[in-house]
Amino acid sequence: MPSLSADQAEIMAALRTRVGNARGPRYWRALDELIDEPAFRRHLHDALPQVSQLAPALDRRAFLKLLGASLALAGLGACSGPPPERILPWIQQPEGVPDSLPQFYATTLCAGGNVAGVLVETHQGRPTKIEGNPAHPASLGGTDPLLQAAVLELWDPDRSQSPVHQGVASTWDAFATEAAALQRRFEPDGRGLHVLSGTIRSPTLARQRREFLARFPGAAWHQYEAVDEDNALAGAMLAFGRPLQMRLRLDQAAVIVSLGADFLYEMPGHLRHARDYADRRKRVLEGFTGRDPSSAPTPGRLYAIEATPSLTSANADHSWPLAESALPAFARELAAALGIADAAGGPASGMPERRVQAIAADLRANRGQSLLLAGPSLPAEVHALVHRLNAALGNVGRTLDYFEPAEPREASAASLQALTAAMSGGMVEALVILDGNPAYATPGELGFPELLAKVPLSVHLGLHRDETGVACHWHLPATHALESWSDLRAFDGSASLVQPVISPLYDGRSMHQLLDLLTGSGGAPPIDLVRVTWDGVLDEAGWQQSLRQGVIGGSAPHAVGATASAAPSVELSHETQGSDIELLFRPDPHIRDGHYANNGWLQELPKPLSHLTWSNAALVSPRLAAELALGNGDVIRIAANGRELEAPVWIMPGQAERSITLPMGYGRLVAGHVGEKLGFDANALRHAASPWRIEGARLTKTDRHVALASTQQHHRMEGRDPVHRMTLAAFLANPPAKTPERRSLYPPRLQKSGAEGYAWGMSIDLDACIGCNACTAACQAENNIPVVGAEEVRRGREMHWIRVDRYYEGRPEAPATWHQPVPCMHCEHAPCEVVCPVGATVHDSEGLNLQVYNRCVGTRFCSNNCPYKVRRFNFLQYADLDTPQLEAQRNPDVSVRNRGVMEKCTYCIQRIRVARIGADREGRRIEDGEIATACEAACPTRAITFGNVADPDSAVSREKASPRSYALLEELNTRPRTTYLAALRNPNPALEDES
Amino acid sequence: MAQIFSPRAGLYAWLVLATLGVAAIVAVLAWRGLTAAPFAVDEPVPQPVPFSHRHHVGDDGIDCRYCHASVETEAFAGIPPVSTCMTCHSQLFTDQPLLAPVVASWESGEPLRWQRVNMLPDFVFFNHSIHVAKGVGCVTCHGRVDRMPLTWRAHSLSMAWCLDCHRNPAPNLRPREAVFDMAWTNEDPQRLGTRLMHEYRIDTSTLTECSTCHR
Repeated sequence: MPSLSADQAEIMAALRTRVGNARGPRYWRALDELIDEPAFRRHLHDALPQVSQLAPALDRRAFLKLLGASLALAGLGACSGPPPERILPWIQQPEGVPDSLPQFYATTLCAGGNVAGVLVETHQGRPTKIEGNPAHPASLGGTDPLLQAAVLELWDPDRSQSPVHQGVASTWDAFATEAAALQRRFEPDGRGLHVLSGTIRSPTLARQRREFLARFPGAAWHQYEAVDEDNALAGAMLAFGRPLQMRLRLDQAAVIVSLGADFLYEMPGHLRHARDYADRRKRVLEGFTGRDPSSAPTPGRLYAIEATPSLTSANADHSWPLAESALPAFARELAAALGIADAAGGPASGMPERRVQAIAADLRANRGQSLLLAGPSLPAEVHALVHRLNAALGNVGRTLDYFEPAEPREASAASLQALTAAMSGGMVEALVILDGNPAYATPGELGFPELLAKVPLSVHLGLHRDETGVACHWHLPATHALESWSDLRAFDGSASLVQPVISPLYDGRSMHQLLDLLTGSGGAPPIDLVRVTWDGVLDEAGWQQSLRQGVIGGSAPHAVGATASAAPSVELSHETQGSDIELLFRPDPHIRDGHYANNGWLQELPKPLSHLTWSNAALVSPRLAAELALGNGDVIRIAANGRELEAPVWIMPGQAERSITLPMGYGRLVAGHVGEKLGFDANALRHAASPWRIEGARLTKTDRHVALASTQQHHRMEGRDPVHRMTLAAFLANPPAKTPERRSLYPPRLQKSGAEGYAWGMSIDLDACIGCNACTAACQAENNIPVVGAEEVRRGREMHWIRVDRYYEGRPEAPATWHQPVPCMHCEHAPCEVVCPVGATVHDSEGLNLQVYNRCVGTRFCSNNCPYKVRRFNFLQYADLDTPQLEAQRNPDVSVRNRGVMEKCTYCIQRIRVARIGADREGRRIEDGEIATACEAACPTRAITFGNVADPDSAVSREKASPRSYALLEELNTRPRTTYLAALRNPNPALEDES
Repeated sequence: MAQIFSPRAGLYAWLVLATLGVAAIVAVLAWRGLTAAPFAVDEPVPQPVPFSHRHHVGDDGIDCRYCHASVETEAFAGIPPVSTCMTCHSQLFTDQPLLAPVVASWESGEPLRWQRVNMLPDFVFFNHSIHVAKGVGCVTCHGRVDRMPLTWRAHSLSMAWCLDCHRNPAPNLRPREAVFDMAWTNEDPQRLGTRLMHEYRIDTSTLTECSTCHR
């Protein structure tokens, strides 16, 4: 720590003074013992946060006192038996509701702008877990962390519970009076009445909007979303003259060029995209390793050119960082290389010509099975150009098609600006905000909170009484999607119904009910508001069928023919005022625009690339960090357009050199117990006219430092080989040979399967894994894994049973990125078992490495001896046993662990037991695929396969037979049951000499 | 002056102190042993309604599954909804004061609060359906409920007690059709059980594994 040397000199000087002033001999063993003085400790805390954590909080005497007292109390506590339990019967048991078996209901959720069909697992009426709906086109069974966290959002104890009027608890009846008065007041034409909603994805909301505007013709309805798709919309208008939407068919695309488009994780429909992308790669491999290699599809190749690394660039065969200001120029160069004449000219992007030519050649060679994509932050002209290029390459109708959106699309930023203009002009007499948080999630430049304060009557409907809820005259609690009737349209235009799986926990209503109250009497049952929309489309049988299946059959719109016309050529902006540094705004991977700030699971889930938890950080490139002498956690002051903010930095390998990414969603002031006052609020610098990027930022280093909580400090492979990777060509030419089984001194009995012939094992395909963390989130939900908080994560005490490691390879400016999920390996020769003094971790006959909580005394020897570091210890009482809502969320089939107990991945033993008992009862064997672990079920790309390795025909055995299969840290000869399939990349031979 | 304490007094003092210490530990252990469970084995458990299994099962001959409906399919055997009680008691003994809480619950919708009799710790995952499917009779664990005017716990349900049977299930097995029979007996349970173990494919090697009950 060279920057601390001045502080250290100061400490040493003070030490010398103290030692010099001491009378007589004074002995000390450690420096921190000597400097144990409050003032000094404070100083120490500022200078050396790690050391100050070691400073004793208690002296020895106090420690012994507390130890004695707690022993005595623990002894007393043990003297009572378990508390008596009560059983409460139903009054009238509903038909078909089992007593203890879970039930699954199909519904639809919208998470971070992505609509996906899900199956909700309920236990005795309590939703506990989300699974993807295999029948829904946007899920196909996969989920993402946001969908997994929806149950915690439902059970969030901080949700708003009753209406609030002017800061005083009120009732819906009181608001109904207000609503009736509003109706009378705006009766003639509705001028002055404004509604602000998010993007309309619900056909019922669209219908209600039409009716609302028919009833109040002078009223205005605005749609604002902090993470907007304005550029894509404007690009479609430029190219086609109508707001067409693009539907990708990635399973048909061999060569994909992504210009800042994170189709694997950020874009709506990403679950389907990831599945299609991974499936095609699997098909290629199966084709080559099958009997007739000529039948194999063309091996795919993904080029990702973007300013800030995303999961798409992490999975790309070639990823090159390029400042976002240069991306339009690059798009034009590529277009020129592909023969679009009017694109030539203009400033150069700085991308080497040979790369442009190589990409163009690859695209030309794969006409009709290639795809170009532009990210949501790129200007509309780039989107229009990409439409033209896709058409020129013959991709339309093959790898993508266009459809007419059923709901009105509106430019989000323009819509918000129309509202703020009306607000500052005093034209807004009443504002109804439907489920959004504009007082936080709008560009700071607009001053929305101040404008909101001037509106004579403001009404906010939301899950939480957040920044907007506090600022409005009325706050009304909304029902959660799992408590409401509604409908939603997915990325491909197909519609599905939202049905409640639990009656509202609190006194909330849906936005459909609120609109009904504003336009009518408000008395309609919530289900009728949705049914009315589908009158004439769905009869009773169709309605029931749609509910059961979770998708409305035939609702996806037909593709329309569209010809992209030449758009005006792309203009490069040259407003470099003061500096050439650009600021990029991105939704946080898990917190998004701040909506999920109060969700502990998502806060603690390591961000896919930085592995940060509980905070955002300004992402800077390694070179910029070196230039400014910045380290991770150093705070910089960023000034742009006359506004400034302070943010800790995180050095992001693969970041474009002069681009700084500011993730949104943090710095919430009114969010709840979990999400307040974490990180910084990037909205302060956002600009309404260009919400994704501003230029000419000035940076100043401050002397502050923030200890960021990252779960993976190691970015390199440390000379070991945890991720096996090879190029496709090398793999096909020379598939790796199986390493012969090593000899072991352990008795071989553990390799035997049980008498019934089950031996559980898992295979994780690193070629399919995109690093999205869905497995970690699903495991957390399934296995009652507690959240520990930022402080404990900094100490390395996070509890996730499956973690997704991320490794970099190559130059830090443009590294190759690898992701590797690591659950318990269930080693046949488990090093943890031999060191447990109480036999709390043992093997069973089916090869599971068990952790017996009731035997565990917490020596942590097992964790110490585990080479994979997958064991997690409850250092404190992490599981919240007092909050009734969180109790209701838990999976009743999994023990809740207490303080002092070791825990780890069990291969979802509860699911194995359920399948086992079911099969046993029916006198049959468990079928292959009958058991899906939570991580396997959640994985959008089906990278995880679990099953019986004793059966040579099972899916997992077939995976393990692949030449790509390898064991992690094989040299230790622990014989893990979890193995991996090596990752493959297919770099362009023309660019062989660069990575 | 003679010494007040003899040389051996120190030893006696130590002995007294040691005895007191041991007595304290014994007292604590005894207290713990006595208060370990809210209700001891064979001790009738008071209920909001003095429900008699003896009357319903023994006298009236109602099958276990009439009330404990999910015992064959689920982990939990099921506790009957009040509507099940009311199938008969809307007609029979409607004005009995003993039944007043049931009627009140039916009318108010406020559930009865039965006292749990057979209780396992939260880290034990017991499944009724598999035991029934493998031919373990109700009586084996719950005793002769048809002779219980108030229900009590018939066995300790301790881990050692569970393991006794999981190690050697044969003596506790009966044909599936006799599972709900309270009075079923067999002269040679070991021989019959051995045959049934084969027939019902019961594998004792997995029965004593930790994962069978703990997860």
